[in-house]
Amino acid sequence: MLVKYFAYYRNDTGRKEERIPAPETVGALLRLLVRRYGKSMGEKLLSPDGLSLGSDAIVLVNGRNIAHLDMLNTPLIETDTVSIFPIVAGG
Amino acid sequence: MMFGWKGTLIRVNLATGAISKEPLNEKLAHDYIGARGLGTKYYMDECDPQVDPLGPDNKLIFMTGPLTGTAAASAGRYEVVAKAPLTGTIGAANSGGWFGPEIKYAGYDGIIFEGVSKKPVYLYIRDDVVELRDASDLWGQSPFETTDILTARYGENYKVACIGVAGEKGSLMGCIMNDKHRAAGRGGLGAVMGSKKLKAVCVRGTGAVAVAHPEEFMAAAKNARDILIADPVGGTGLAAYGTEVLVNIINESGALPYKNWRSAFDPNADNYGGEALAANFLVKNKACFGCTIACGRVTHVTNSKYESFGEGPEYEAGWAFGAATGVDNLAAICKASFLCNELGLDPISMGSTIACAMELFDIGAIDADIVGFELKFGDPDAIVDLTELTGKVEGFGADLAMGSYRLAEKYGHPELSMSVKKQEMPAYDGRAIQGMGLEYATSNRGGCHVRGYMTSPEILGVPVKTDPLVTEGKGELLKLFQDLTALIDSSGLCLFTTFGCGLPEIAAQYRHAVGTDETDEEILLKGERVWNLEKVFNIAAGVEKDTLPPRLLREELTEGPAAGKVCELDVMLEDYYAQRGWDSEGAPTEEKLESLNV
Repeated sequence: MLVKYFAYYRNDTGRKEERIPAPETVGALLRLLVRRYGKSMGEKLLSPDGLSLGSDAIVLVNGRNIAHLDMLNTPLIETDTVSIFPIVAGG
Repeated sequence: MMFGWKGTLIRVNLATGAISKEPLNEKLAHDYIGARGLGTKYYMDECDPQVDPLGPDNKLIFMTGPLTGTAAASAGRYEVVAKAPLTGTIGAANSGGWFGPEIKYAGYDGIIFEGVSKKPVYLYIRDDVVELRDASDLWGQSPFETTDILTARYGENYKVACIGVAGEKGSLMGCIMNDKHRAAGRGGLGAVMGSKKLKAVCVRGTGAVAVAHPEEFMAAAKNARDILIADPVGGTGLAAYGTEVLVNIINESGALPYKNWRSAFDPNADNYGGEALAANFLVKNKACFGCTIACGRVTHVTNSKYESFGEGPEYEAGWAFGAATGVDNLAAICKASFLCNELGLDPISMGSTIACAMELFDIGAIDADIVGFELKFGDPDAIVDLTELTGKVEGFGADLAMGSYRLAEKYGHPELSMSVKKQEMPAYDGRAIQGMGLEYATSNRGGCHVRGYMTSPEILGVPVKTDPLVTEGKGELLKLFQDLTALIDSSGLCLFTTFGCGLPEIAAQYRHAVGTDETDEEILLKGERVWNLEKVFNIAAGVEKDTLPPRLLREELTEGPAAGKVCELDVMLEDYYAQRGWDSEGAPTEEKLESLNV
């Protein structure tokens, strides 16, 4: 599956995107990324107990916000694209 | 003595040269706050809604709010109000920078301009001294040059609002620039100023703004600022990447209008988003008066044939010259955006009108003989060259200068203008963000994103996350956002404060500045009053009904999360009108107006 990073998540990962074998769920993917990229990313992506989405993260699966899917339990398959953003705004 | 408000207006008759000062109407200030609301109320009490926007009877009002120039969080805003020539609606354009506070420090809440001058003039204000002065040497100069000339003449502490060549020549997308790079941008109010032969307002004030409850006010202002500093949007994201950071998330959500809204995903968007701008051309951030967010960008394009220096581009300009036209060359996008500031053009309308022309060319409705060259989607030279031609109202630029609706109508395809009430819609597709479609359709100044920013809840989850693809509940939420936005615009605060602050923080600052014991809800009601007043004007002016371009209502998106979707406007409108207490045609009822004391 394709994982895309935006804004200062690119500072944590050092890349714009990468291909990763699809974990079972979004939650499993985020925990994998925290292990791979460390504490700084983990503090933004996940809540302190690791059980819910962090307060500075927006995660889209194929363009849909996981808030309208099944949050961290949203299932993933190999053809999915996951996009990870901090909470940014403009206008 | 009034607190927050200064209590005095300047009235300038440009035809006779007469200048007078008059007390601010306290009852109107109480009911309509200031800036957008109070400016609109004064305008409506004095002008016929059927007036020719570019004729001598249209008035042009610069109005600040009671919080403008105070220590409230991000309180540097002012509003310009007139009947808008692009739309025929009430025109109210809001701008930041430092100009608005300076009007307050000179001792005034606002300036009402009447009539037409026989020769170019500018208004000089130094505290009690208010004079019309000859602007013959300024006519034809850019906002940058005009500002440099006036500050060299009078001092660096003077603040200048002025028009560029576009406004002088009557372009319907001409805007009013202040502090060189900030704009009262939409609706063509620069053309109104140009029609009056008024080139600039140059102001210096040495006074202050008194507030009613200083200790409580400073505590409320500090609380609001602390919230903004701690907020991930206001404290981190906007500071790091500016408003352009929005390009990628809107695109990944399948909501970035591409090639004149034929689709809503740009495969090359990352080439010109906030990340690319920060990596390639950003020099430093820049803040408006009293703002901790500092979303402004100082940008220098080097090593390119589009070498240029300026501020921006903001998200909307980046989109209008980027995705809307299919261009992904960031240097060219920056150059076109800077040209808009230099010529005094609204970049949203400019880029969108070029995109419309590109589609007209693509379907054969116009050709190279009309345009002057082969006009293809994705051509970076085209966005730069056509922006320059439009600002100067020369060649094919004279067609573009009238906006996309009049352009598309002239060449037989009005349906290809992506506009509402003849004003170009901004950078969010109402098929993929349903509430934004409703917002565009109901905006009192035509297609606009800052009359009730539904992207905030629908995409960003601020303050609550709602599903962008559903229609339920959008009418109620939009009404709340519109009323709150009217309150913010009228008070003199920046709309971006809402990324962290809500009604309680905004109302607290207002309450302690002006000295009122009104509740949060009573203060919000003033925003609803302003919204209804604007609607009353538009109905009296004969503005067309609330709708969207047929493309959004009939052409389904074909990819992304909104594939198969059109904007379900009818069902949302019915709910929205009910929430507003309006009739089924979208008109405020007598009972509603009476309850609001409009």
